[in-house]
Amino acid sequence: MSVWRWCVDGVRSACIVLCCSLILVFPVLAATEKNESCQKNSPLVFGVLPFISAEQLVFRFTPLVNYLSENLQVPVRLETAPDFVEFARRTHEESHYDILFTAPHFFTRAKQKAGYRLIASVDSPEMWAVIVVPKQSEIHVLQDLEGKRLATVPPLGLATLLVRKTLFEAGIDPDVDLDMVITPTHDASLLSSYHGVTDASALMQPPFEAASEKVRDSMRIIARTESTPHIPISVAPWLGEDCAAEIAELLVNMGSTPEGKAVLQHNRFTGYRQGEPSIYESLNDLLSR
Amino acid sequence: MHRKPITLFQTLRFRLIASVVSIEIIMLSLLVWNNISIIQATHTDRLRDTATSMIQQIARTSGNYMVAVDYATLEDYLSNIIDYQELSYLVILDRDEHAVIALGEFPVQPWPVQETHPAQVTDGVFDISDVITVAGQPMGRVLMGFSLSLMDEAIRKSRTRGISIAAAEIVLTVIVTVLIGLGLTRRLGILAVAAQEVGKGDYSIKIPVEAADEVGRTASAFNYMVTEVSNRTQQLEAAESKSRSLLAENRNLVHTSLNVQEEERKHLARELHDELGQCITAIQADAESIRDLSRDGDSRIKTSASAILDVSSRIYEVVHSMMQRLRPGVLDDLGLVEALKDAIAAWQERNPGTQCLFNVSGDLENLGERINITVYRIVQECLTNISKHAQADNITIALTKAADGLLLAIQDDGKGVDLSIPRSGLGLVGMRERVESLGGEFSLDSREGDGLSIMISVPLSGDEVQV
Repeated sequence: MSVWRWCVDGVRSACIVLCCSLILVFPVLAATEKNESCQKNSPLVFGVLPFISAEQLVFRFTPLVNYLSENLQVPVRLETAPDFVEFARRTHEESHYDILFTAPHFFTRAKQKAGYRLIASVDSPEMWAVIVVPKQSEIHVLQDLEGKRLATVPPLGLATLLVRKTLFEAGIDPDVDLDMVITPTHDASLLSSYHGVTDASALMQPPFEAASEKVRDSMRIIARTESTPHIPISVAPWLGEDCAAEIAELLVNMGSTPEGKAVLQHNRFTGYRQGEPSIYESLNDLLSR
Repeated sequence: MHRKPITLFQTLRFRLIASVVSIEIIMLSLLVWNNISIIQATHTDRLRDTATSMIQQIARTSGNYMVAVDYATLEDYLSNIIDYQELSYLVILDRDEHAVIALGEFPVQPWPVQETHPAQVTDGVFDISDVITVAGQPMGRVLMGFSLSLMDEAIRKSRTRGISIAAAEIVLTVIVTVLIGLGLTRRLGILAVAAQEVGKGDYSIKIPVEAADEVGRTASAFNYMVTEVSNRTQQLEAAESKSRSLLAENRNLVHTSLNVQEEERKHLARELHDELGQCITAIQADAESIRDLSRDGDSRIKTSASAILDVSSRIYEVVHSMMQRLRPGVLDDLGLVEALKDAIAAWQERNPGTQCLFNVSGDLENLGERINITVYRIVQECLTNISKHAQADNITIALTKAADGLLLAIQDDGKGVDLSIPRSGLGLVGMRERVESLGGEFSLDSREGDGLSIMISVPLSGDEVQV
């Protein structure tokens, strides 16, 4: 009897020790497995649409890249492209970027052409494009733009697409009634009217909000376009599910750590949320124009 | 003047040329060395600054292309820079140290170690690198190599040019210095030869004045000096000749005067002896006769006759003494030595406190009238002076006949005289004149408190020896 009891107690103790060991070791093993999944593609290339100058882009996104690199324990490299067209080409034809931070309509096309998977979105209200003029300008409504010079981003840029749609809806043919001046970035578009090179500027609202206070305060918004979902973050098709999930988890939970909060604050984002591919389907209509 | 031969190294010409050339070589060497150092420093600093400026410019402007992975545009941009002559290679490395752009003769890996200054270069290429950054984030690295061949060539040319200029200047300096030195020393040599000729008494020499420089002015001054010296010399010679003539006349006059004096003395002594002596002798004879005849008579006659006899004796002694001083008869009768002994003995009687030693050497017979009377008068004058002034205890008189003349030495141990003080008396002058009238030499030596000595030498010739 006592021998039997001794055996039962021994088996019970062994099970308890084994369970405790598994509980303690599992996170370590799990973490190791996650890191190994991302390391297959080391270094990860974090591609950002060149919507602002490279200098500004590096300044704004280096903390986010470093945050991901430190937490993934994998080198993450920030890259962009000379322009929207080249960025789109690298995305669609080469799937060059492991992690893609691009405009909503570009994600839709990348998903369609290269199989990029949405993992998160910027957790902020919808964004839109604005048309701004210098405060002392005589342009007050869209109709005043007729015969004027309107600076905007490249034709594939979301701001250009949204503004063109807005102008059409206001009865203005942007290809006939005014002169669309293409600039490489949102910054360049804003500064062109600020310095008087053009009469007005079209750009997305986030870059306008991020512009210097001096420039922003000297400008006046005369129109805003319809809203679109905020920036999506997607990953290349070959990136493993585990690695993608790890990246998504880091982004979504970024606001829960002081370091993550600092990164969000630097980017002027409130946070990231789980990606919902369906909200970007509405942009197909915009792309079809 | 004897002219010592001088070596080449002692010549002014050699020293002048050697000094100037040495200074030129040293200074120009320092100048060239300094210039080469400055040129090297300037070139290396310029290359360093250029390289630093270029690589910093590339590092600051390439970041946008690197983050955009726009290597084609970046390569187009850098292709313009690679044309820079000194640039050997230009390599852009990405963040993985992979060469994404390589222009020029870029080196094989491992990449060269960065050098901070061209002076550190050992392989002929100045290798530098810089980090490409965007917004403070490293995006890669730029490597650049600058060939030192052009810089070395420029330095070599500058060095060659500097050394050539210095060498040309040294050669020109040597030529000019040699020409100037030759011209200068040749004219100085003419001056030296002319000075030697003038020293020999040739005042007719004239130096050609070839230029109006310092040497020319010296030559003019030399010519003027020679003319003046010549004139002054002629004047001095004329004055000296005149003085000699006057002196000879004076001596003849003194000689004649002394002869006349001696002749007069001699004549006067003879007259005294012949006339007055005879008369006194007659008076004494008559006085003795009167005294003898009146021996038994009137005593007053006897007394008067005795008085006349005493007076006449006294007159005779005076006359005899005068005769001795005017012309010692013993000189003519017994010769010089006996006359001197007689005079010294008479002097000794008058000056018993002084011992006089008289030494005679040689045959002193037949010296001649002039020498005898001269020696006698000098001894007589010396004894008179000693008794008056010397306060001497001992006197030595030595008369010696040597092979070439007669020597007379008179020395006393009296108080002596200071010869630097001019004497007002004529005794010494008379002695000197007497000796020099015979062609002899007279010398005097004395110090205060240490006596006085007189040395006389008189040449003896056949003409002087008269019996």
